[in-house]
Amino acid sequence: MTGVQLVRRLFAPNRAHSILLVLAGAFLAWEVAVLIFKPPIFLLPPPSLVLGLLLDDIPFYANHARHTLGACLFGFAVALVVGVFAAVGIVYSRVLENTLYTLLVALNSIPKIALAPLFIIWMGSGTASRVAISATIALWAIVIDTVLGLRSVDPEMLDMARSMRATRLQVLYRIRLPNALPSLFAGMKVAISMALVGVIVGEFVTSEAGLGYTILSAQGTFNIPMVFVAIILLGVLGTVLFYAVDLIERLVIPWHVSHRGGAAAPTTTPSV
Amino acid sequence: MTTGATSRGSVVAPGVPYVDAANVDKIYPSPKGAVTALRGVTFDIRDREFLSVLGPSGCGKSTFLKCVAGLTDISAGKLTVKGIPVAGPPANMGIVFQRDILLDWRTNLENVLLPVDFRRLSRKEWVGRARDLFALLGLSGFEDRSPWELSGGMRQRVAICRALIQNPELLLMDEPFGALDALTRDEMNLELQRVWIADAKTVLFITHSIVESVFLSDRVVVMTRSPGRVLDVIEIDLPRPRELNIRETPQFGTYVAHIRELFRQMGMFARSP
Ligand SMILES: Nc1ncnc2c1ncn2[C@@H]1O[C@H](COP(=O)(O)OP(=O)(O)OP(=O)(O)O)[C@@H](O)[C@H]1O
Ligand SMILES: [Mg+2]
Repeated sequence: MTGVQLVRRLFAPNRAHSILLVLAGAFLAWEVAVLIFKPPIFLLPPPSLVLGLLLDDIPFYANHARHTLGACLFGFAVALVVGVFAAVGIVYSRVLENTLYTLLVALNSIPKIALAPLFIIWMGSGTASRVAISATIALWAIVIDTVLGLRSVDPEMLDMARSMRATRLQVLYRIRLPNALPSLFAGMKVAISMALVGVIVGEFVTSEAGLGYTILSAQGTFNIPMVFVAIILLGVLGTVLFYAVDLIERLVIPWHVSHRGGAAAPTTTPSV
Repeated sequence: MTTGATSRGSVVAPGVPYVDAANVDKIYPSPKGAVTALRGVTFDIRDREFLSVLGPSGCGKSTFLKCVAGLTDISAGKLTVKGIPVAGPPANMGIVFQRDILLDWRTNLENVLLPVDFRRLSRKEWVGRARDLFALLGLSGFEDRSPWELSGGMRQRVAICRALIQNPELLLMDEPFGALDALTRDEMNLELQRVWIADAKTVLFITHSIVESVFLSDRVVVMTRSPGRVLDVIEIDLPRPRELNIRETPQFGTYVAHIRELFRQMGMFARSP
């Protein structure tokens, strides 16, 4: 393989490749910057040192990552189930639309991070409160996108179903829900990142394990390289979770326009 | 009037039309001012008759079809199907809409079986008929493909299979062949005539094509510009089954010329052919 071919292949529009390439580039730039500017190690350690620290004690970090991941997935699942049911209720019932939806809008305008201490008072400092915070923060994205998806049905499609004397329930699960799936997945991609944010917030407030806890306790002892290990692991976790949802989306709705050509669905995740 | 050979007996009492519209008005309320889509529409569709409705765009043809289908209420007048005032979609009805409205998340075969699923019938018992319809409409081999893998004409044919799957007594078709090229359209006209003769359905067929309406119909209803009223009802007394070349006969030409003249009187040239 010639050098040109190698470069071409590396830059080919292959997602896994380009992701790795971009990340490797970023780390390289970081390493070079540290070499040139030589900041004190407790301000900005070089990535090689951070990586070394991680490799030194993999079981330790894996254990904390597992705590965070578990709470995040749990919170996400709760948000998904509650969110989809709430959305169906809002779309099908005027009363729920006027009450629940209004309430959710109000709730969403509060920075939900501010609720974290409350949850801990109510539910204790165990995993349950972190799951609850995570679910609360992730819920909104699921509800809003599912409502949108359920509502944006072609009226003629509903006429068609009605002409076949479909019941309301049949219209829901044979027409509205499948029609809402692309929108629901867009919401899930946002929600999965939000769920992770929620868990870290919970771990910041109180916990005895998890990557948020690792960051807080390392910061307490000025172990800045360890803070960086945890942050990088969080980045990896978030990325993997996002692409896991993306993969499931491809498997569940291969019929959707965004997947027919095999191109990646462009979705943006807001950061908090 | 000539009707095709019938495989079923009459489902309405003698003398009672299958669909009967008397002075039907339809007004769509709207914040920007109500739209009168139909005004005093009066005509009937006889049992096992093939009836076409012709009219300028926006004159209320689709609206009338939706009223018959029970998908929208009439504002005034009387509209009965089999002697009973329309209140909601009747059983034994199939519709082909102006757009195909296939579900992307179902295969073509599953789309055709949608009415079967809605009625909670066994797919197994209907899949054979579904495949026969695919073959009849030249779609064999596309059963397990998705709608988005088909051309516009093929999609419309899938929609026709879906309307026919339960062998409805009443078939409502809203410009089903509008999106097809001329050759496929001819072929579909022959196919539709065959289905109609074999299964003896009552058909309400909406079209923009004068030639198509004369070719297929027992009677043609011509509507005026919006708000739609009935301008004329023309009996088409041509023998069945009709071959495509019947369109070159002088008798056929006379019907077409007559209808074209009606459109000219409305101050417009009918869309050809
Ligand atoms: N859902 C609706 N709400 C309000 N107005 C409507 C609605 N549907 C149709 N109309 C109006 O009713 C009139 C008749 O519409 P309709 O679709 O029945 O016409 P059409 O004869 O089928 O036209 P075309 O040949 O273009 O399909 C039009 O003026 C249209 O604007
Ligand atoms: Mg129309």
